[in-house]
Amino acid sequence: MSAPHLLASGGGEEFEAPGLHIFDWGPLFPDGPSWLDWLTKPVLIVALSALVTVLFAWRAFRSPKLVPKGIQNIGEVGYLFVRDQIARPMIGKDGDKWMGFLFATFFFVLFMNLSGVIPVLQLPAPSHIAFAIVLAITVYVIMLFLSVKHQGLVGYFKNMMFPPGLPKPLYLILAPIELLSNIILRPFTHAVRLFANMFAGHLLLAFFSTVAWWFLVEKLTVLGAGVGVVGFLMTIVMTAFEIFVQSLQAFIFTLLAASYIGGALHPDH
Amino acid sequence: MLAEAANVLAAADSVSGSLGAVAYGLAAIGPGIGVGIIFGQGVQAIARQPELTNVIRQNMLLGFALTEALALIGFVVPFVHK
Amino acid sequence: MVRPAMSEEEPEPGPGADETSSHEAFTNAAWSIPSYILSGMAVYGGLGWLLDHWLGTSALFPIGILVGLALAIFLVYHRYGR
Repeated sequence: MSAPHLLASGGGEEFEAPGLHIFDWGPLFPDGPSWLDWLTKPVLIVALSALVTVLFAWRAFRSPKLVPKGIQNIGEVGYLFVRDQIARPMIGKDGDKWMGFLFATFFFVLFMNLSGVIPVLQLPAPSHIAFAIVLAITVYVIMLFLSVKHQGLVGYFKNMMFPPGLPKPLYLILAPIELLSNIILRPFTHAVRLFANMFAGHLLLAFFSTVAWWFLVEKLTVLGAGVGVVGFLMTIVMTAFEIFVQSLQAFIFTLLAASYIGGALHPDH
Repeated sequence: MLAEAANVLAAADSVSGSLGAVAYGLAAIGPGIGVGIIFGQGVQAIARQPELTNVIRQNMLLGFALTEALALIGFVVPFVHK
Repeated sequence: MVRPAMSEEEPEPGPGADETSSHEAFTNAAWSIPSYILSGMAVYGGLGWLLDHWLGTSALFPIGILVGLALAIFLVYHRYGR
């Protein structure tokens, strides 16, 4: 359950592609006391990401200078990015009020995702769907609360299920689709987008590095070496690609969160 | 030498898994290309004629809905056809 | 050695109110289309599956999925396409 898991292939004679078992992490200290069993690698990564987010925001904005230097520069660039690309376009003039939530969400998800390419950690925490679901449910509860607060319970369901301008009998047919789409499938797809991208990315990286290890180190042959070199190069290319995808998914997750909040605040468009 | 070649090829032969997943993988190719074309050409059209942005966006959405439907049909076919 | 003067950063004009709402609507629509289509297929496909189960037929499930697909695309067209 530790280092050799990357090699994935055990001691068999045939190449074996890494499967779902690379996501199974037992307790971090299997010999430790049983009350420590909850501490697995994904949990550790999430805790570290939260800690890094807090430290980052604290160091950047603890005593802001008029002329920023050091980590405050990064913090301000990040803040401006979240505000101008996410909060203001999606929520409008109320966007600045939500910056605390959106900034924290963006960087928390970003750090969790990026742990997929950081050596030693090398597991994007949202590749376990539970973490993605908890984040999506948080946004969902905020959205429900704001919707009911700003539109009223009846108004919320009316705006959601009965778009104006259709003949009456059609509402009977279309309302269930709207209901299912807005109440269940939206938060579901919100979580699954993040989860599936991280899951697939981690599997891809593990596959190519396993290929490289197997054909270049474990079973080095004349014919296999070419495959191994291709696997090695693909590992490097895919790592760069994964960094891109992980940042993009953090952005999209926050964008959708802001979009749901904006939709709850201004239902009319 | 030949044995080694057979070994490498055997790795390719021994791929196994769910046929439904393979089918969805194949079914996702077309809509993937289609969605790329729709948004790529849509952005290009907006760049050429910014004053028509709203019309172009609506048509992008319709094209996207139709294309996405194909991808999701591919997703449910393994459930329907056991 | 004197560093060249940093270029003054222009204060960025915020997007106009009209632009903002149109952009927001587009993003909302583009991201919710897949869940509309899935939802249509789930509702009417599920209905078809239940009817199949009760009546002992096997054709209503795929028919329901296609009907749900068509209704969902119509809904998307009505909501965003005009």
